[in-house]
Amino acid sequence: MQLSIRDLSKRYANGVQALVNVSLTVRPGMFGLLGPNGAGKSTLMRTLATLQSADSGTATLGDIDVLREPGRVRAVLGYLPQDFGVYPKVSAADLLDHLARLKGLVDAKSRRETVDALLQRVNLFDVRKQKLGGFSGGMRQRFGIAQALLGNPKLVIVDEPTAGLDPEERVRFHNLLADIAADVVVILSTHIVSDVEDLCGQLAVIDKGRVLLTGRPGELVSSLNRRIWRMVVDKSEAEELRKQVRVVSTRLQAGRIVVRAYGESCPGAGFEVTAPDLEDVYFSTIAGHLAAPAAQAA
Amino acid sequence: MTLLAIAWFDFNRRLRAVSTYVYFVLFAFLGGLWMAAAGGVFAGASVSFGGDKVLINGPYALAICIAFLGFAGVTVVGSVAGRAVQQDFEYGTYHFFFSAPISKRDYFFGRLLGAWLTLALVFLSIALGVVVGTHLPGIDAARVVSAPSWQSFLRPYLFLLLPNMLWLGGCFFVLAALTRQMAPVFITGVLVLVGYVFAVNLLGDVENKTLAALVDPAGITALDVFARYWTVAQKNGEEIVLAGVLLWNRALWMGLGIAVIAAGYAAFRMQAVAAGRGRRREAMLEPSRHSKSARAMAVLPAATIDRGAGAYARMLPGLARLYLSEILRSPRFLAIALAGVLLVLGNAVTLGSLYGTNTWPLTYKVLDVVGGTFSLFVLIVTAIYAGELVWRERDARVSDITDSMPTPTWLGFGAKVLALFGLQAALMLVVLSCSIGVQLANGYARIELPHYLFELFVLQLSGFFLLAVFALTVHTLIDNKYLGHFVALLLFILVARMPDFGLEDRLYRYGSAPGVIYSDLNGYGHFLPAVFWFRLYWSAFAVLLLVLAHALWVRGRDSGWRSRLRTMAGRMTPVAWSLAGAAGVVFVATGSFIYYNTHVLNPYVSRKEDQQLRADYERKYKALFGVPQPKVTAVDVAVDIFPEQQRVRLAGTLSLANKSAQPISDVYMLYPRTAQVRALEFSVPARMVDEAPAMRWHHHKLDPPLLPGATAALRFDLEYGARGFRNDGADPVVLGNGAFVNASLTPDTTLVPSFGYDPNGELTSDNDRRKFGLAPRPRMPDLDDSAEQQQSALTRDADFIDYRATVCTAADQLPVTSGYVKRDWTENGRRCISYAMDTPMAAIYPMLSGRYAHRRHVWKGPDGDVAIEIDYHPGHEFNLDRMVAGVRDSLAYFTRHFGPYQHRLLRIIEFPRFLRSGGFAASFPNTVPFNEAIGFTAKVDDRDPKDIDYPYFVTAHEVAHQWWAHQEVPANVQGAEFISESLAEYSALMVLKQKYGDAKMRRFLKHELDRYLMGRGIEQKGEQPLLRADGAAYIHYQKGALTLYALQDAIGEAAMDDALSAFLKRWHFKGPPYPTSRDLLAELKRVTPAEHQGLIEDFFETITLYDSRAVGATARMRPDGRHEVDLVVTARKIRADGGGKETDAPLSMLMDIGVQDAKGNFLILEKRAVKTGENRFTLVVDGVPARAGIDPLHKLIDRDVADNVTTVEAS
Repeated sequence: MQLSIRDLSKRYANGVQALVNVSLTVRPGMFGLLGPNGAGKSTLMRTLATLQSADSGTATLGDIDVLREPGRVRAVLGYLPQDFGVYPKVSAADLLDHLARLKGLVDAKSRRETVDALLQRVNLFDVRKQKLGGFSGGMRQRFGIAQALLGNPKLVIVDEPTAGLDPEERVRFHNLLADIAADVVVILSTHIVSDVEDLCGQLAVIDKGRVLLTGRPGELVSSLNRRIWRMVVDKSEAEELRKQVRVVSTRLQAGRIVVRAYGESCPGAGFEVTAPDLEDVYFSTIAGHLAAPAAQAA
Repeated sequence: MTLLAIAWFDFNRRLRAVSTYVYFVLFAFLGGLWMAAAGGVFAGASVSFGGDKVLINGPYALAICIAFLGFAGVTVVGSVAGRAVQQDFEYGTYHFFFSAPISKRDYFFGRLLGAWLTLALVFLSIALGVVVGTHLPGIDAARVVSAPSWQSFLRPYLFLLLPNMLWLGGCFFVLAALTRQMAPVFITGVLVLVGYVFAVNLLGDVENKTLAALVDPAGITALDVFARYWTVAQKNGEEIVLAGVLLWNRALWMGLGIAVIAAGYAAFRMQAVAAGRGRRREAMLEPSRHSKSARAMAVLPAATIDRGAGAYARMLPGLARLYLSEILRSPRFLAIALAGVLLVLGNAVTLGSLYGTNTWPLTYKVLDVVGGTFSLFVLIVTAIYAGELVWRERDARVSDITDSMPTPTWLGFGAKVLALFGLQAALMLVVLSCSIGVQLANGYARIELPHYLFELFVLQLSGFFLLAVFALTVHTLIDNKYLGHFVALLLFILVARMPDFGLEDRLYRYGSAPGVIYSDLNGYGHFLPAVFWFRLYWSAFAVLLLVLAHALWVRGRDSGWRSRLRTMAGRMTPVAWSLAGAAGVVFVATGSFIYYNTHVLNPYVSRKEDQQLRADYERKYKALFGVPQPKVTAVDVAVDIFPEQQRVRLAGTLSLANKSAQPISDVYMLYPRTAQVRALEFSVPARMVDEAPAMRWHHHKLDPPLLPGATAALRFDLEYGARGFRNDGADPVVLGNGAFVNASLTPDTTLVPSFGYDPNGELTSDNDRRKFGLAPRPRMPDLDDSAEQQQSALTRDADFIDYRATVCTAADQLPVTSGYVKRDWTENGRRCISYAMDTPMAAIYPMLSGRYAHRRHVWKGPDGDVAIEIDYHPGHEFNLDRMVAGVRDSLAYFTRHFGPYQHRLLRIIEFPRFLRSGGFAASFPNTVPFNEAIGFTAKVDDRDPKDIDYPYFVTAHEVAHQWWAHQEVPANVQGAEFISESLAEYSALMVLKQKYGDAKMRRFLKHELDRYLMGRGIEQKGEQPLLRADGAAYIHYQKGALTLYALQDAIGEAAMDDALSAFLKRWHFKGPPYPTSRDLLAELKRVTPAEHQGLIEDFFETITLYDSRAVGATARMRPDGRHEVDLVVTARKIRADGGGKETDAPLSMLMDIGVQDAKGNFLILEKRAVKTGENRFTLVVDGVPARAGIDPLHKLIDRDVADNVTTVEAS
């Protein structure tokens, strides 16, 4: 089953253009949706999760018209929203059981088995009888993914799942996502490049409602071979450099500033070529250094 | 400065919020609506806020309007003040404020000030609405002050609305600040509302009035008590002042507010975690990390998945149960329910109180009190929890998850509807338990469970379901929780008050059904079919609402109307369409059936049309008033009552005579338009020349005319019966049990034809009359109207008649009418009794039929035996002994003191409480129909000094009418009630006094004084002195009782007897001309000694009030051991005109001066000469004086009796 999005646009009542002619093709496996805050990621995710309508465009999942047949989408959907609450006075097992029923798991026995298995999978089995109000952020996110996996979804959408998690929790969460069966479309939206780097076979970079780049992480990184240049400068020099070269990113390091710049050739004295990474891809794209034609890669 | 900046920022933010404008416009709208309704803009509306003559924008009316509407905005105060601080927690913005360099003082009071400013602005709109409202076209100019004083606006704001806003807003703010939630705010709001309702209920007993004034958080009851005795002139002319109970009330609640704000400020912490709230998260242990293997093992089993509609339908009850149990277990629901229970118990304390005496907790009575009080709670709970349910997932921020689940939208929606229904059912259970609790606590163990279940779970719950659907729909459509609460409650109220705005037809009043009044005699009687059809009709509409709400239900993030309408198309599946279609068909079909019943089978007459008819009647036919008509001299009638069919047939003959000096050729015959005429013919040649059945008018021409002194007869055969049901429900002529036919108390209950233009058919309210261009109308013809002095006040078309009647009814019922039983038989399975009266009697004769039990007694009088019969509903035995004693003692007293009883029998018959013709009890010749709700079911506790034996008293009053009204029939002029009702009241008081003593009388008269003084304040036309009493109950009952008893106290019982028996003797069965109040007054003057002659003028000829005050009293012991008391009192006499304008009059009379000991016993009580101004007395008493004063037993009419007595100081 593959997800095809064609020319999807959405403008909010307050005039914000959240999506502009977004087109994407997503095959089974992990798909990373990278973009800064406010890029339109959540709008796209919520549209795919049938929670929002689009102004124009189409989205199809297999033979399902996502925008017109919300019922069919929901039947194969697992969704972990970016920001969600829980009923604080209900235990994890109870709420998951309740949600499982709503997903159509009617048989009490097999539902319990599913719920228990999922809770084990997300490592919440031991605290299944505890009230959700007492859960930490990471435990809540794992509960969230457990509910998203109920009922064998074919399309799993996880919106910014690692925001606010500590590094250890993030790793565990990544492991969980990686375990999800290979024939499922998993869309992970994030603004953290390493999330995608670790997990995703495909990615898209989105900003201001537009898809700027799509491709496989490895290919995209190698396309920048010998294009990323590095120099360590003082703070005052960094400002000056910005005006002269196409700076991809700057980072503080021991009081000085590491400047990474894009250039088909050496952008200036003092720069040395360096190995590109996915962050370079991301920042170059956002900064507009990478040309849109790369989008064809996917 | 920071404080002001915060306040200003908040205020500005509110100014940009839509809700502020919605509130502003709504309150302006309500203010305008109030004025419009009070000012008569709406056709046929009969809204009156404190008397026809009270100007709608006069100081008093404005105060009530502004205070009430302001208080009604308690939910707005709650959401504005509460949200001012709570939303910082909800949105997490408190982080910024608490970490910013602003002090707690600036934050706390800045936010509070901002909320206050917003509220002040919102509530200012009431004044705006009022001003606009008074200039609407259609406002009756005579009821408006053209240039109201700005003081009249300012003062209610300053004394009532703004203080309420300040203290309530402060309390709500503190609650929200400390708990960081809105729920406690709303619970407190409900409690405040409870306080107000409780205060209003407390006021039911005059003894509680100070307490009631204080406990009312709104201060409205305090204003009410403060202005309780204000006359119309005062209400229109005097600005309200902050004094007395009003001041105390304001001080109390403002004080509470300040205390709460201060305490709240002290307890408030600018910290992330609310004070005193630990977080459990710290205690939670992260699961151990051994679980890599566990994860690997946890292979997901293949679960059975069924997403068919059937599977989801099976989930519906479980989901509804889940929602419901969440609510039922929440502390806030428990708090609201508990508040309801408390209010109910508070009200049950004065269950059915009359004269401060309770009634037995019969099931219907308890349901009235408990269910009635609680229905307000059901409304509030429904509105609030409809919102909570609609917002459940979004509030918990799980809506993204649940909305993207594969569940059909109808599942969650349907479960919410069911949960709300369940919630209402749970409240009904609370009512049930409270009711039974009240019954048991009162020692009443006759628990009628089926009656409870039917009333609560069928009749009431079905109505509440309709409201639940309505509230859910409103919340779904509005899609803003706080606004939704407000709009839902507002619409509840507006829909309920539609008739006040001239919108009466239940076909467009959502959820309405004709009222049902249960009677022990008749059960639900014939009310039920109408209720059933209206319920079905509105249930079908409710289904349409549900389909609509479901289609527009917000699922996902799109809440804009465009996308909701887009989704709607998808939700309108064939199933939804067919459901809507079916509901539509039922709606139209039942609507048509109802229309057929309420408009075709029965004439639909709106209030406005009725008024129009009355106006037309007067314009068209008033000229014929006074044209001589034949008088009825004898009635012989056969009455067939068919209780099961709600049908009665009256056939018989009226003997007529021309008692005038002119020939009569035009006869204006009246009978109700509902009559089916089987036969109607004169014994002389006659033909109908004009007919207006809607006005009951049937003009016949006699040719040749009926000459003076000549006689004729009218043979009539009329049938009346219920046909289907009416918009205002069943008002059956005949009931299944306890039928009361031809009560003759209103034109519509006079089923036997009568003659001549009937002024009772005219519009009475001067406001209504003005609307139709008619001049104001006095309530009664002038005392000196010589033509009307020739008319009996009881019947226009007869003097005294011979009466015989045969009444037949169902075999198991007893047929009753005036007269004596001549023959009693059963024929064709029907019970028939022939009655005949052996003496001429007043021409009023009811027919009753019911399944009665009987109590028989014989009173052996000086002129022979009198049978006492009480026909009562089995089970209502409570007060039979008191009633028998009442009849017996009355017969004895009246016979000895006034003159003999004209009959050999006196029977009392119980009738169902909902017959509007009933009132209390009514005295017909030798027969007294007695309403089941009074007397029969009173619970008199003889050991309680507060309790008045009113079954005994009311019985005595009705028996007294056999003398006053039947032996002596008053003329149809002003003062008629003085010589019937006032005398009956006096006579009953004397019987009561003989049995219970003077002290009990004082307690009784205290109620009467309160009711008289209050009655003056809502006078519709202009107060008359007793001499010209014109039908205003507070004058002829209350003032009549007070003054006649006081006169008796002054001149003695013997002198009264002398006057009354002479009056009776002179006018015994006399008329025309009939006696007037002047005739009685002449007798009273004759027997009153010179020193008391002034009382006659004060009591009966004028409106006189006294203001006596004890200024100071000192006592010292004399050498002989006795005490000498120096008492200083002031006295003042005030004369009032009809509007209540007062002037001082010189006072010089004998008044009671008394000294009491510490136990309240009088050491001395004697009449002393008192003059206007200060009077000093020196009294020597045995015993230790404790209190002393003037008119200590408040025999005179005095608005403040508390200051009549003062504490005696030692000198």
